[in-house]
Amino acid sequence: MGYLNSIFILGGINVLAVVGVAVLTGYTGLFTIGHAAFMAIGGYTAAVLVVKLNQPFWLGLVAAGFAAALSSLIVGYPTLRSKLKGDYFAIAMLGFGEAVRLLLNNTYKVINGAIGFTGIPLYTTSLLVLALDIVGIWLIRNFVISQYGKNCVAIREQEVAAELMGIDVMKTKLWALAISAFYAGVAGGLFGFYMTYLVPSMFTSSKSSDLLAAVVFGGINSLTGPVLAAFLLVALPELLRFLYVWRLVIYGLLFVIIMIFRPQGLLGYRDISWASLKRFAGRLGGGGRRSGPGLKSPPPARVAASGGGR
Amino acid sequence: MVLFLQQLVTGLSIGGIYALLAVGYALIFSIFDFTNWAFGSLMMVGAYGGFFAISAFHFPFWWGIVFALILAGAVSIFVEFVAYRPLRHRGAPRLFLMVTAMGVDIFLTNLAVVLIGGSFRPFPGVSAQQVVHLGPVNVGRLDLIAAVISVSALLALWYFIEKTKPGLAIRAASHDTATAGLMGINVSSVAFIVFSISGVISAVAGTFFGIKYAVWPYLGGISNKAFISSVIGGLGSLPGAVLGGVVLGVLETMVSGYISSTYRDLFAFTLLVLTLLFLPYGLMGKKVQDKI
Repeated sequence: MGYLNSIFILGGINVLAVVGVAVLTGYTGLFTIGHAAFMAIGGYTAAVLVVKLNQPFWLGLVAAGFAAALSSLIVGYPTLRSKLKGDYFAIAMLGFGEAVRLLLNNTYKVINGAIGFTGIPLYTTSLLVLALDIVGIWLIRNFVISQYGKNCVAIREQEVAAELMGIDVMKTKLWALAISAFYAGVAGGLFGFYMTYLVPSMFTSSKSSDLLAAVVFGGINSLTGPVLAAFLLVALPELLRFLYVWRLVIYGLLFVIIMIFRPQGLLGYRDISWASLKRFAGRLGGGGRRSGPGLKSPPPARVAASGGGR
Repeated sequence: MVLFLQQLVTGLSIGGIYALLAVGYALIFSIFDFTNWAFGSLMMVGAYGGFFAISAFHFPFWWGIVFALILAGAVSIFVEFVAYRPLRHRGAPRLFLMVTAMGVDIFLTNLAVVLIGGSFRPFPGVSAQQVVHLGPVNVGRLDLIAAVISVSALLALWYFIEKTKPGLAIRAASHDTATAGLMGINVSSVAFIVFSISGVISAVAGTFFGIKYAVWPYLGGISNKAFISSVIGGLGSLPGAVLGGVVLGVLETMVSGYISSTYRDLFAFTLLVLTLLFLPYGLMGKKVQDKI
């Protein structure tokens, strides 16, 4: 039971971080590697606040999110100006990831550097993770179906046109980045308080690749896809333990194969919603087409009307 | 004063390698408009190629290096044909190209981890420790050789790109790939040439770092410095890449000598952020706008 519980918790934490990356990469089209740095910042912030400064856990989590979001400005502000290509941001994120890890590894006061921050109490429960996941996904869903989300998609598809339509490109990108960093920060906080210790080497580029993999496999422009993929990418390696060593090799290969043969991933551009589930159940139950509100009969032929007008 | 000169010389040497790497990256970026993340893993491929050629197959040293160059060039071309070309011909958005490139990088690096093992291996056949005395300054013999090689390679590249016909094709394609194709330039051949040059450059740098430090799967991490150099110098500009590489190398080594060598990589990132804050297109960047 404890084993399944831990898979659930780790999967749930991954889901929270991946949902943030989905907003940034899936909806806004900004490729991010090094997102694990935000998890690290969040994790360490929460740990320091709760363990060293005796603040309540919820405050630690909120502060973790804000710390990560604020730090995202360091990377975001110089590189997300409009007319700068996404490569500037990606390279800066790569550098940021390394810089954060370096800083954390070499700061021995308070956080113990590379040796690791131990003695973090186990505050993360599966109930908490489930609750935060539900709230988090609901909030992001609202963001995505709102005008803000549509602005992000517009920027992804064609940035110049988006700017012409009056979208403040830089602000929207910065918001998407801040939101994704916030989610990663909270996820990092939950992670620290589950593992009960934090070491900078937990947040290397393979962790960032894990997050990106969930979005790529799940599909861009989708929320349910990355959520499912995030969970699968925690559960499957446990089931396929004998392949663990090959995990990243397989991910790399899958990235290329998916981009070439099925760039929309599992559920790209589509989401599983209540309406779609009802339709699916209806089709399973009834078999064959039934006319419902979604199916219209074709309009009557107007040939007679136009044919006579010659 | 001696420290300053010492760091300057070392900085110029490492700056030369960064410049070479940055040019290898910028060549592809300026023509095909995407970041070849696999660049780092190509460095690793070159280093391991040389390593195994010399230690397992007993090639003489310089033939081992040549093998490394050829291997990396071949892998680079293979990656272009298999991973990038199908997407480019389909007109895939930049995000897909970046994901694919990252996938190649992750694949190659972790394949090495699994098949070869993550341990550090010293590059056989040469010791990096010999020192040459130039007046008050001591330079590692390897750094000196590296400086000479990178300068000559850069000069050779400059000559190739500025003064030969294939070079003219490369310059045209870098200016506007689509129109170059319309004017009769075989963009596929340009791709072939550019990716092989890029592969060879990464092998040169890869074997250098393999000799200087050690051969291990994450050797390609140094390519981050190449990306940063290119951004500092201006993405898409070849002279900018050279300038950015030298500037980064020298400043980094100065910081390493005068302040602390632990935070050297942090300084590289800080320099990147500062440059972009004040010069959004880098030192010599081209302001290219998307056309709808």
